[in-house]
Amino acid sequence: MTLTLRILLIVCSLVSFVLCVTKIKQAKLKVVNSVMWMIGSVLLIAVSIFSSPIEWLANKLGFMAPVNFVFLIMIGFLLVQTFIDNIRISSLNEKIKELDHYIALKEHEDVVKNNDKK
Amino acid sequence: MKVLIIIPAYNEAQNIEKTVKDVMENTNYDYVIINDCSKDNTKEVCEKNNFNIVSLPINYGLTSGIQLGMKYAKKYGYDIAIQFDGDGQHQAKYLKELVNQIEKEECNIAIGSRFVTKKKPKSMRMFGSMLLTLAIKVTTGKKISDPTSGMRAYDKKAIDEFIRNASLTPEPDTLVYMLKKKLKIKEIQVEMSEREFGESYLKPLKSIEYMINMFFSIIFIRSITRKNK
Repeated sequence: MTLTLRILLIVCSLVSFVLCVTKIKQAKLKVVNSVMWMIGSVLLIAVSIFSSPIEWLANKLGFMAPVNFVFLIMIGFLLVQTFIDNIRISSLNEKIKELDHYIALKEHEDVVKNNDKK
Repeated sequence: MKVLIIIPAYNEAQNIEKTVKDVMENTNYDYVIINDCSKDNTKEVCEKNNFNIVSLPINYGLTSGIQLGMKYAKKYGYDIAIQFDGDGQHQAKYLKELVNQIEKEECNIAIGSRFVTKKKPKSMRMFGSMLLTLAIKVTTGKKISDPTSGMRAYDKKAIDEFIRNASLTPEPDTLVYMLKKKLKIKEIQVEMSEREFGESYLKPLKSIEYMINMFFSIIFIRSITRKNK
């Protein structure tokens, strides 16, 4: 990997790491949700600084350039992240629907009770 | 047996009065209107007429409406729940026959079908219906001639399935699920009229999306349903 790319990766990882920590402090991001991002950025920094193991592995696996291997890992990481997010959205959706139903049934019950009193 | 007619309604202010009157005149079953957060005055029309209405605060679509109807049926101890369109396409006089079939324990789910004795007309819509019939035949071995029919009666077992599994829809793929759970389905010939006012849940452009969803669900998800132990 070229020096410029390594510097770029290090800077980006640092920025995302700092962003995670500040967002947690502002209570906008839950610790559980940010762990993956922090691990990701730490790994990326490690790869940028000590690039020889990755270069060796990329070579063994037959990548034309080590940087392709790094990109592949990053894409895989992102895919997993979006998939996890998708599952979370679905489960939130289901929870809101449950609330929706609960409120509707409760309101109906109250109306019926009021009518009975009259 | 206690029978509940579930009438899901979304922006049906023009149709709902007629539908409910049809139900009240032609049957002596209980009914509940599920108002899926309509933007027009469906709710006001129902309240003015003193109809039994449950209003959802958030619009979540037909599936959610039917699921709420099933919860209502369970909560108030109904034995049979019927799904009945609020747009005036369905005629209440056929409901008795559906209920009869379940009461005689001929089946767990009775479908009001347009094509038991009559042939399907040739149109794009019916082509889609044919494909669904084929997909159900291939995955379960049973022939459902009108899988998209929205007039269905469910017995207690089927209601329980709806409550247990939140992903069940009032659509053809659920029939596959129910068949895999060893529930019996029977079709009864009925007539349906064209809708008079308003738009259907299934807009033309959405039909393709609907078909793709149904096929994926039937072939990859519902066909591997395991029966209860």
